[in-house]
Amino acid sequence: MGLKIYGALIFLFLYFPLAIVLIFSFSPTKTLVGMQGITLKWYEELFRDRGLLTAFLHTVLIGLGAVTIAIVLGVSGAFFVTRVHFPGKGVFRTLVLLPYILPGIIMGISLLIFIRNFGIKLSWFTVLLGHVSFTVPIVMFQIMSRIARMGPNYQSAAMDLGANPAQTFLYVTLPMIRTAIIGAALLAFTVSFDEIVISFFLTGSAWMTLPVYIYGMLRFGLSPKVYAISTIILGLSLILIIFMARYTGRSADVYRAGKKEAGEAA
Amino acid sequence: MKQRVSPPRAFLRGIPITVWMLVLVIGPLALTFLMSFYSTDGMQIISTLTLKNYALFFTDPLYVSVLAKSMIVALIIAVLSILTAYPLAYLVSFRLRRGKQLLFMLSIIPLWVSYLVRIIAWRTILGNKGVINSALLAIGAIREPLTFLLYNRFAIAITLTYICIPFVFIPVYTALEKIPRNILEASSDLGAGELRTFFTVVFPLSLPGLVTGFIFAFIIALGDYIIPIQLGGTQGIMFGNLIWNQFGFAFNWPLGAALGFILFGISVVVLTATSRFGTTEGGFLSE
Repeated sequence: MGLKIYGALIFLFLYFPLAIVLIFSFSPTKTLVGMQGITLKWYEELFRDRGLLTAFLHTVLIGLGAVTIAIVLGVSGAFFVTRVHFPGKGVFRTLVLLPYILPGIIMGISLLIFIRNFGIKLSWFTVLLGHVSFTVPIVMFQIMSRIARMGPNYQSAAMDLGANPAQTFLYVTLPMIRTAIIGAALLAFTVSFDEIVISFFLTGSAWMTLPVYIYGMLRFGLSPKVYAISTIILGLSLILIIFMARYTGRSADVYRAGKKEAGEAA
Repeated sequence: MKQRVSPPRAFLRGIPITVWMLVLVIGPLALTFLMSFYSTDGMQIISTLTLKNYALFFTDPLYVSVLAKSMIVALIIAVLSILTAYPLAYLVSFRLRRGKQLLFMLSIIPLWVSYLVRIIAWRTILGNKGVINSALLAIGAIREPLTFLLYNRFAIAITLTYICIPFVFIPVYTALEKIPRNILEASSDLGAGELRTFFTVVFPLSLPGLVTGFIFAFIIALGDYIIPIQLGGTQGIMFGNLIWNQFGFAFNWPLGAALGFILFGISVVVLTATSRFGTTEGGFLSE
């Protein structure tokens, strides 16, 4: 019983702050006490903020670009690490993970130093490089665990039946890892959409992503507009999470099996 | 199975990931390491190798003391995260029959909710005109706003604990879920109560997950620089801020690189020392 109460308190701790952001975004006044009525005017103001809309577009484009590149690198890398045998594989895996497990500030300064060393100016391109650095391990490790559960027999069977490597990949392997790819892409996009620690170092003054833009807004204090955009971000991440839950992990296998049965029945 | 090496053709598909690794991981880290031995003269970076930056770190008490304080704060945050996430994971894994999946989702959703939004939320709650202060003023519990809530290490600790909870929850939950339920029955058949079963059976088996969660929380807390800027104020300077400052207005990249490498070294030591006890399973990247 005590444990359940403690658990309920932890859930309160986890969700109270998010509820605050949501409530404040609809509040006509800045304080919660004596809040009168609800308003949508802060949301209207968001749509008049050109800089914000541009930053939003940038974030989506960077996310799509980084995820596309990360899928190519991550999927090929996952097959490389799980199927090819070579000494020092453990070190190789750890090196792939580094951009994800190291504190973001280390990747941020390293990429900045590297990029400036080659005289490259900060732009969308440098932000993209930064996002490719941490989305690759996300995709690769998701795909690796799917491949590990799949085993190598399906590919061997396809090859025995005369399929060439390309056919095997297209008709056997790809359908089997498809949901893992979708899940990994959603996961990587969610992380990219929100990323600020690394982006902060790689963003120039003119070309900003949404989190960097919002960070700039915070310099002038917490405005109702900040709560409105935060609430929109909350909503978007919730949608992404729901889709993600469908495609990642063990539940994805169940979901896939269910879909297959439905397909066969049709 | 004996370690064997695949035929050369198989290595072709390793090319993209290897190029990525050289360009975006090894190259940048190596250059940063190199730069940590450079020095500056005004706005100019001088590329003669020197140990000046590392010497400064060890001789100027500012750096060592900020690092020590940051490590203590990170340790406290890791402990607080465990004290919240572990009971939650235990509750969801062992005590619930209905709604287990839902509560699992609810426990990890905050992980994917924007980092910046969570910072904004805590600034709103802890601020001088924030939620806690206005509520306490309204009910008459206080006359003046409490000022110890924001712009210090207390605010950093609360916010970072909030950020770290799901990172501890996931590996602990994964470890708990793997414990075969029949050994709990065996324990109870042999006369152990729930508490005794927990301490002699469940807890030892969950240690790898606990250690993994602990490392993650510690490293996240130690390396963060945005939360200290946003909620720490002048009192709450953390090691990450010292690094950030060298790339901002202090404009001393070589010193920043050296401090970054010290943080890198600490992270690597913590990760390798504890990876022997921890587990990579139940990390966030394996499904």
